[in-house]
Amino acid sequence: MPSDSILIVGGGPAGLEAARGIAEIGYKAILVEKRDRLGGTPDEASYAALTPHFKNTDDVLGAMIGAITSNPLVEIRTGSTVKECSGAAGDFAVTLSKDGKEEVVSTGAIILATGFDHFDPGRETQMYGYYEHDDVITLVDAEKMLKQHRFVRPSNGAVPKRICFIQCVGSRDRQIGNEYCSKVCCGIASKQAIEIRQIVPDANVFIFYIDMRMYGYWENQLYWPAQEQYKVNYVKGIVTEVLKKGDKLVVRGEDTTMGRPMEIPMDLVILSVGMEPSTGTKALAKLLGVRQNKYGFIEAIGEPMDTVSTSVEGVFVAGAAAGPKDLEDSTSMAGAAAMKAIATVRRKSAITAKV
Amino acid sequence: MEQTRYTVRNKYSDVPYEVKEQLFREVKSDLRFTDYLYGCYECGICVAACPSARFYDFSPRRIAQAVAREDVELIYEQMNDDVWECSQCFSCNRCPRQNSPGGIITVLREVAVKHGLRSAKEALGAYGRVIYKIMSTGTQVSPDMLQPDAFPDWGPQVLDVSKNLDTWRKAIPPETLHTTETAWEIDDKTIIELYLIWHMTGVMNMIEKVDEGLYTILMDVMEEKLEEAGYSM
Repeated sequence: MPSDSILIVGGGPAGLEAARGIAEIGYKAILVEKRDRLGGTPDEASYAALTPHFKNTDDVLGAMIGAITSNPLVEIRTGSTVKECSGAAGDFAVTLSKDGKEEVVSTGAIILATGFDHFDPGRETQMYGYYEHDDVITLVDAEKMLKQHRFVRPSNGAVPKRICFIQCVGSRDRQIGNEYCSKVCCGIASKQAIEIRQIVPDANVFIFYIDMRMYGYWENQLYWPAQEQYKVNYVKGIVTEVLKKGDKLVVRGEDTTMGRPMEIPMDLVILSVGMEPSTGTKALAKLLGVRQNKYGFIEAIGEPMDTVSTSVEGVFVAGAAAGPKDLEDSTSMAGAAAMKAIATVRRKSAITAKV
Repeated sequence: MEQTRYTVRNKYSDVPYEVKEQLFREVKSDLRFTDYLYGCYECGICVAACPSARFYDFSPRRIAQAVAREDVELIYEQMNDDVWECSQCFSCNRCPRQNSPGGIITVLREVAVKHGLRSAKEALGAYGRVIYKIMSTGTQVSPDMLQPDAFPDWGPQVLDVSKNLDTWRKAIPPETLHTTETAWEIDDKTIIELYLIWHMTGVMNMIEKVDEGLYTILMDVMEEKLEEAGYSM
């Protein structure tokens, strides 16, 4: 029996937007989320203000969640995971598990919006000492503090006066295996640098980078204001090691455009960790037999013009499950995936009707 | 005090950080500063356009960068060693961020002169004769400066001209150009106004900082004229 409903896996920005789109067009969306809450990584990792518009994360997610909870065509299944899947486009049977109880739902198409994980800085190949030094933190840790409007050194609770970001941690690195650019870290570091200067106006903030990738409007939404208004120091040159010196940290690298080595004392070092495919993304890809690229992200087979179709007919991908994506990418892909998923179930049920 | 900035190299470590910091504060407080520096991409377009950079180890980018990063030590070094290599042609104004490295250099130079930095003295030393001429007479180059020893590359013609300078000058129709010690006739009212401007705007203080000898001579010349006109020093 072909099904008209569409199953979405992942309740982050891409999954929420896909569910909203499907329901607004008049089709049934089943939104599966393994956590007990919707919102995905921005919620789970306590994002404060979203890049690049500085909009409050809870407000933005709240509006997205509100749009689907108020729509009876969306069936929300939190605390649930996908166990099995059989069938084909137009008529999949997906086994969901919640609290040890299993249930099979039928769906005509599947949208994978299973997202990314933040790179674990324990795997970096430099010597930044994330797990050794309390005052070496990640963008995620910094975001948590910014959410509480309290920015301090974890080691002693003091307000840091010299802070640096180290870009491309876990990205663009053949030795690690992540050869891609994670796309959002330059913008997020610049956003956080601005916020830090707002909270600690007499702080010196440095960003050590390989290339600043501030595409499109991020340029004058983030990069120029950070540099011009907030006097953030952008230094081309990647730190090779972070050393502890008394109460301080010392970062060592090369100031490449000035052609000189540098050793600068810091109170706090923030590692700009990139994206990797989430455990859920890798597990779902295997379960559904969807082709992954060499990094484990789900491969979009029709690029550049089709960003959401996968190697399995009727299965689509949206958001950072397909690789490093910003929020605009993720929600735009969600719209495209919703449209293609609806087209699939319509086509399949029309064929069945004829038969 | 803010401890170490960029370490490793510090050429003028004998000069206290506070002194360097004060000079930079003066640079930043200049009214033109915010129009001359936004942020630097470190792209090098200014260096590519710079004629001085082709002939000297000079880079307007490094100047803009040091100032943008507020690297006080390096700025002090540049005020001493680099800013005088700029020809102030402003080819660097083609900056995509609309910075003016040349303009920043103007400000750096002015602060260097005001504080009599060694480099300012050295760089301006060669201009003593011209400064004396223009500040004492109001005209920059006068016919009597045309001497064979000053212009050997002009050949024997210079000797002819310099011998009969007075006659040559009288051959020029406008009577105001029948001068040899100044480029043209200078009205007393004009020269008094110029002297007053130089005194009141602090130019004399700057001259005193970079060239004390020149300052003394100029003051002698000016005092006499000003007193004649009824101004006391």
